Amino acid sequence: MSDDKAISELVSKSLRHKLDGDETINLDRHLSENEEARKFAELSQLIQNSVSGYRADQDIDKKDGLSEDAKTRLKESLSGAIEEKLSLSQAGLLQNKTPVGDPLATHDQGSSRTKRIPGELPAVPDRKVGSRFKLIRRLGEGGLGNVWLALDQRLNRTVAIKELTAEALENPKSWERFHREAEITGHLEHPNVVPLYLFGTDTTTNEPFYAMRFVGKRTLEDAIVEYHDRLEAGVADTLELHRLLTVFLDICQAIAYAHSRGVIHRDLKPQNVALDSFGQVIVLDWGLAKILEDSELSTKMSVSGECGVVEPFALTQTLQGDVIGTPLYMSPEQATGDLDRVDKQTDVYGLGALLFAILTGRAPHQKSCDQSGLDLKGILETIANSDPPAAEDYDKNIPRELEALYSKAMAKKPHLRFGSVQELADSVERWVAGQREQQSSYDNLRMEGRELRADLESSVTNLKRNVQFAAGLPPVEQLMHVTADEDVSVWRERLASIFSGLLRANPDEQSIVYSSVKDGEFRELVRVERHSGDAGSIRVVPKSRLNSGPVNDYIASLAKKKPEEVLTSLVCDPLCERAEGCQERVGLLAGVPVFDNSTEELFGFVMINCDIDKILRRQMSRRLSAGEVVVACDVFHIMMHTKAGQISESTIGHSVSSTTPQFSKAVDVLQTELEYIDRTNSEIYGARLWFLGQSHGIMYLLKRS
Amino acid sequence: MAELNPQVWVDQYGDQLFRYAKSRLRDTNAAEEVVQETFLAGVRYSEQFAGRSTEVGWLMGILKRKIIDYVRSRNKYNRVTPYEDELDPSAQMFDEMGNWKPGAVNWSPAPGQELEMEELSEIVSDCLKTLPQGQADVFVLSVMEEMESDDICAELGISASNMWVRMHRARLGLAKCVGSKWNVDANREVKHVR
Repeated sequence: MSDDKAISELVSKSLRHKLDGDETINLDRHLSENEEARKFAELSQLIQNSVSGYRADQDIDKKDGLSEDAKTRLKESLSGAIEEKLSLSQAGLLQNKTPVGDPLATHDQGSSRTKRIPGELPAVPDRKVGSRFKLIRRLGEGGLGNVWLALDQRLNRTVAIKELTAEALENPKSWERFHREAEITGHLEHPNVVPLYLFGTDTTTNEPFYAMRFVGKRTLEDAIVEYHDRLEAGVADTLELHRLLTVFLDICQAIAYAHSRGVIHRDLKPQNVALDSFGQVIVLDWGLAKILEDSELSTKMSVSGECGVVEPFALTQTLQGDVIGTPLYMSPEQATGDLDRVDKQTDVYGLGALLFAILTGRAPHQKSCDQSGLDLKGILETIANSDPPAAEDYDKNIPRELEALYSKAMAKKPHLRFGSVQELADSVERWVAGQREQQSSYDNLRMEGRELRADLESSVTNLKRNVQFAAGLPPVEQLMHVTADEDVSVWRERLASIFSGLLRANPDEQSIVYSSVKDGEFRELVRVERHSGDAGSIRVVPKSRLNSGPVNDYIASLAKKKPEEVLTSLVCDPLCERAEGCQERVGLLAGVPVFDNSTEELFGFVMINCDIDKILRRQMSRRLSAGEVVVACDVFHIMMHTKAGQISESTIGHSVSSTTPQFSKAVDVLQTELEYIDRTNSEIYGARLWFLGQSHGIMYLLKRS
Repeated sequence: MAELNPQVWVDQYGDQLFRYAKSRLRDTNAAEEVVQETFLAGVRYSEQFAGRSTEVGWLMGILKRKIIDYVRSRNKYNRVTPYEDELDPSAQMFDEMGNWKPGAVNWSPAPGQELEMEELSEIVSDCLKTLPQGQADVFVLSVMEEMESDDICAELGISASNMWVRMHRARLGLAKCVGSKWNVDANREVKHVR
């Protein structure tokens, strides 16, 4: 090395201890020979010594610090950071939040993004998204995003906020999907598509979110579960199914509209349909939606170039995020991964799957997914190769017409399905309309049955009132005590006169009897009866023709009653032994015991025999809509039978089961219930009238014409 | 977790951190910015303060990292002049043959003169401001922050030869500047001129 410049480089290197042995010898020699070089070396060493090895505590009491303005600025920013930290801490956001690695490694100018850790739930009360949305509580979580109930502080209204899950934040594709979902939702303006208010980026986290109308937490899935629970409990009626089918028709309208805009939903399932408190049906979650390349929308969408292509990840994403949910409703073309075939017919299949779920309470591929030993691939293969599920596979009894509709919608080959969503909707609507007509007809039938029962109940009540009145007449009391024949005749005449008046006023009543009971024998004291051949003629039975004899079961039961208690029953002959079970025309009997006020012992009874056949014939003569009516007593013998408004005399007195077996199920139910409602076919209605204090009564059985 | 008291950081440590940052970055605004970043990071990651060092020591650790980040960011985004085109003090200190020009290093310490390191460091700080930014940054990171050469190259995205050239030019420039200032001080019997 000959020149000083090179030597100076050696000096520089020596200060970093980077010289080898020869270089050191060479440098030392030159330094001893060259003053400038020595000066440079000494000064450089001094300079280095003066500034190296700096320690923080060396700087105490020095001047030239921060200006007062700078300190104020620093304090303000520090104060804001402390407050933010405090609020995050209170919200519980800071637990396990420290990013892996050196958190201080990045000088991140202008950004203070707080990154969420995968798996961490952002379930933070009081957290704000954007500048105006204060999160209230989490409503749900899907594969892609969390949905929060939030308060829009600017407009003071509740909204739903959707933001990416922590896992999805890690995946750039998820960001893209999320943005696309918001964009598609924003483009679909329809009453059954959730309205999007705002798409934005949170300034604190730099994470995307969008605000939409809060439509409540209840979904079609909840409604289906409730309906089938009620169905199993036997308390659901056809109306509830019709409500669900109306919801289904609304979903069809939303999807048909989306198809008209070139959008395919591809992820139809009950969880993706929200039902608000006012009956509004909202189709959610357009995160998997596909935009047809030739659609109007595809030219408007900023990401249209990619939306036209179905990315394989979309299917996988759903499966990863919702392994149970989505395959349950997946079409065969989706299951095979034949994504080129995914088009509007895929949504027709999805709607068929929804219809299946409504009707059976189960997901269409539930059985495939329940098969033990099947992994996801196996399940998808099963779905891809299966024909539409049968309701009977799930032990469900559903209307055949509806089964045909969902089967067609879910045909394995897309071209065998309904040609459009509208076609499917029209078919379901026609069925509902037919059912409504049928239901309306059945409602009339129920109304008629209840009116018939109420009418008879009114007659029975009147009968009871009359017999109580008759038993309380003064001559009844007097006849207990008078002994002189003259007096007896007077009081008999008076009582007969009143009884006659009662019969005249009540044309259905056949006879009124006042009888004494003593030592197991009854003896009529007064009997007034209607002439058997001339209903308008009422006669007082002469003393010589009054009945007497041993008490029968009915009179024995009556004798056990307390004062003013009425015993009502159906009997063939009130005074013979065979009171019930006869195959002849029966009478409706009401009796009340009579007690001697002085001895407080049973003296006898007053009894009115009512012509129930007359009442029933009068009822049947009304213009009834029912095609067939049977009135039966407890031993299931037919008391009255009409077909198409005509009384069938030949079957009266015969058993229900042998003559009219279509009513057998209703008869079984009416042994314990007041009503029988045919929830499956809406054809048969049954109503029962119980006689007070008795274990039997009368039942009306009606069949829709 | 040890207790931190961020409310007093500005008053208690602000000046100290600021001076340190300014000595490295040679820019008041930049120093203020990294001090602010240091305080904000201190609050944000306060859970990591284990109490093994003093509060100011912990903050100083953050500040040193922030300074390096800032230098890297500044070098990356401010498009520092390529070192080939930077001011090369060699031209002022060596002749065409590569030999020292007479009085190139204008420094003659008087016998017995007490060298006050503290004052010298202030002169060095002043002189650093006169150097091209690329040279000064390499000097700061190497000498003042005592970073390894490989790390400096990685942070600044430069080659090793580039770094050594810059380093040498910085030493030459500083020697010339400091020698000049020190002599002025000595002649006027004043410690130094600001």
